[in-house]
Order: sequence, then C-alpha cells, then structure tokens
Amino acid sequence: MRTQLELNVRRKGAMRGILTLGSLDPAFAAAQGVEGEMALLDLRGVEFVEPAGLCGLAALLEFLIPRSRLVGLRFSGHDVAAYLERMDFFRIFGHRIETNVDVAALEERRRGNPGTLQELISFHSEEEIPEIINRISEILTNKGYGLRERAAICATLSEICANAVEHGHSPFGAYAAVQAYQHIVSGGRERGRGEEVLVAIADGGVGIRETLSRNSEYAEHTASDNDALRHALKMGVSGTGEIGRGGGLAVVGQIAARAGGSLSLRSSSGRVTFYGDRTNSRNVPTFPGTFVRVSLPRKAADDQLPSASKN
Amino acid sequence: MTEEDSRARAVYDVTSGGNGGAGGKLMVTRGTGRRVREALGEVLEGLPVGGVLYVDTRGVELMDYSFADEALGILASRVAAGEYGDRHVVLVEEDRELLENIEASLRQRGLAMIRADEPGGAPKIVGEVSEHLLETLRAIYEAGAITNADLAERLGINHTACNNRATKLFKLGLIHRRKNTAAPGGRQYSYEGIA
Repeated sequence: MRTQLELNVRRKGAMRGILTLGSLDPAFAAAQGVEGEMALLDLRGVEFVEPAGLCGLAALLEFLIPRSRLVGLRFSGHDVAAYLERMDFFRIFGHRIETNVDVAALEERRRGNPGTLQELISFHSEEEIPEIINRISEILTNKGYGLRERAAICATLSEICANAVEHGHSPFGAYAAVQAYQHIVSGGRERGRGEEVLVAIADGGVGIRETLSRNSEYAEHTASDNDALRHALKMGVSGTGEIGRGGGLAVVGQIAARAGGSLSLRSSSGRVTFYGDRTNSRNVPTFPGTFVRVSLPRKAADDQLPSASKN
Repeated sequence: MTEEDSRARAVYDVTSGGNGGAGGKLMVTRGTGRRVREALGEVLEGLPVGGVLYVDTRGVELMDYSFADEALGILASRVAAGEYGDRHVVLVEEDRELLENIEASLRQRGLAMIRADEPGGAPKIVGEVSEHLLETLRAIYEAGAITNADLAERLGINHTACNNRATKLFKLGLIHRRKNTAAPGGRQYSYEGIA
C-alpha cells in the first residue's frame, strides 16, 4: 500500500513549473493521513525550485519520514534533481528517501559548479547563526552587494533564524534557504523585471499561535491562526511578553516593505503576507511548524541612496 | 578644571575582542549581544564614579534587532535603573540604517541614549524622549553645566516643573546631576551633559 502525494504546480502562466510553498499544500494535506505506508511525492511537474519550495520540501519530508515506511521522490529528467544536489538536499535527505534518479551521478557532475548563493542550511541552535550570517555576508560581498543591501538581507535572515530555534522544540531544528535571482521570482506586477533575493526558513516547532497563547495578554489575538500571525507582526508582541522582546519580526517586515518586497508567515492553518501598506491573510492546509519567507527585490544602484530610509 | 574635564572616559570598540570571538563586524543574535553587554558592563563598573563609557559601534557592518536589544537596550535599561551608579553610556555611531534597530529597541523600552558621531562629538539622541524633555536636554547640553534655577528661567517654566523634567532625564541616564549645597538661597541641583 502506498499514498501518492500530489503537488499543485502551475502548468502555465508566470508561475509555471515553480515549486513554491503553496504548491506543496496538497502534499501537506495528504501527509496528515499517512500512517506507516509508503509515501510517493510526485515532483515531475517541477521545473524550478525557489527557496520557499526548498525549505517547504525539507519540512514536508521531516514530517513524512517518521510517519511512513519509505518516502519516494519522483523527478522528470535531471535538472531539478541536479539543482537539489547542488543545494545539498541529497546530503541531508539522500539516505532517508528513495528516488528515481542516480544521486551518485549527480554528485559527480556537481564539481566546480558555481551559480548558487547558498545551499540548504540545517541548524539547531542560536549559536550556529553568526557563522551562517558570516558565510552569507561573504557570498553577497563577492557577488557585489553593497553594505546596505547585505545588512538588510543578513539582519533579516539572522532574526528569523533566531525565532525558528527559539520558540519551542522542533524535532529537526530548522531549515533555511537563500537565493539571489537576476529576475523577480515572486508574483505581482513587478514580475520579471529587476532582481530579487529570497529568504525562506522553516521549523517544526509548536507554531506562532501556540507560542503567543502562552501569554494570556494575547487571548483575544489568538482566536485563529491568522489572528495570531497578524498580531505577531506587531512591535513588541512575543510569547514571553518581556519588554524588548518581539521586535525582530516587526523590523524585518519594515525592511522588506522598504525594499518593495514582502514578509510571509505561515503557521498551522494560517498564512499572512505583509507588504507594508497592506496585509493579506488566508486559510491554508496545516503547516506543521512555522514558515517564513522574505522577498527583497533588488533595486538599481541609484535607488540605494538614503532617500529610501525611514521616516 | 571643570568637573566635566575630570570625568573618566573610556571608549569600547564593539568590533574588538571581548565578545567571545563571535560576530566580529556582524553583530547578530541575543547570545552575541549578551556577551557584548557583559563586556561593556565590566568596563562600566571599572570606571570611577561619574565616568562615561563611549560604546563605539562604527566598525559594525550589520546588527539585527535581537543583538541591539540585548547589548544596548538592556544595558540602557540597567544604566537607567541605577545599577551602575553615577556612570553613563554614550553611543558612538553615525546616522545610518544600523541605528534603526537600536532606536526600535530603546523605543520599545521607553528609553533613550545619547549618541555622538565620534567620541566628544556633538550629542544627539537615539530612542524615545518626549518633546519637552528633548527641549530641556538641549538646553542643558547647550549650557554645559546649569543650575535648576537658571534652566527654569531659560525654559520659562517654574522650578518644580524644571526639576521634574531634569529628574526624568537624570533617571534615563542622559545627564549628570549634582546637589549644590553652597548655592545661594539653599540647596539646588545643577545639571550637565554626559557627553
């Protein structure tokens, strides 16, 4: 007996073939019903994996592997598998899953292949974060990113990484992925023009609503997952309620909005995206933990002057 | 020699050692912030009474909110709570985006710090101070050292109101305060800037 997990990857349009977190929704929904049988994840419609898709896939596998006898991944062709190999995906998951591609051959091909910003990062504690940030900062410097941009990207990443390992025990710690693109990957009007840095982080902890529920002050803000996510974006809202806490996510939201990007939070059945001037929410299949995605569009050099700063 | 000249000063470059080897120019996480704050606290405690510690963050390339709150927000709250007695902290930093995190942390805490572009530079403020406290603060820094009576006159307010404002600034750790027993007409406070 086996369960086939389908994806919702677009077949046409701007998002065609892209593995996003949203495209994993049907698989997350189906994964809830897996009880020991083999689970087969069909990635054949995937042509391109963005960081949120990569982190989402890692979180899905961490959820599935303990619940199924065997997890299989099905790819069409070699491109996506080769990309995942470059992202260190098979180093982390190769021995825990079964695939229809020869991973050893991918490893062989990988040598000397540049062109990626950062492999999939697996981490478990706050102590690991400064080293991760150092590495990303170095890569960004080598790619010609200026100090202001690096500061925005790295401060965002470190803040969200710290949240991921701080709030409640996650059996697998957390995964982070960062990529820089020569085009805009996220949907919307600006799609296709300009450059974009995408940051995604997933943990398997108790989730935002549960964390905020520990603080009885927030009772009226934790009635639903989306209420809790919207509240978590506000300055000074934290599970402990200690003064000074709960500022990180609010600052990250401001950084993303100022860059013309967005901050998306997903936890349990909630999903909230913050754009600065508006916040969208909707209900989604349960995500077993917390997921954060930050889009930082990269503007032309002229736009990097302090005119874009606060006030 | 004025009293200000006799005050002990120390400059602590946040990018130099003493932070457990973590971060360097990249200051992220509460853990790193805690180590830096502990190092700053030691230097501060080692200063004579009335001393000022200049916390120089100009070499830091990036700082996240968690670090800013743990290293500087908590330090400022302890200075304001009087944990270091009459010893004060001045932030040495230019006007750049990195300040946003420090600003956010101090505002969260209802605190403020004196900031200067360089040690001894013109004092500015980072964090949360109400408009009339800011006016009072400026008057004190412009005067160098000033008695409560003179300050009240300068601001056009009564002595009690002036004393209340200056007490708030003193409790935020933004000014020095001294009791002049020899003042004509009895005791009164005099104030001076810390930077």
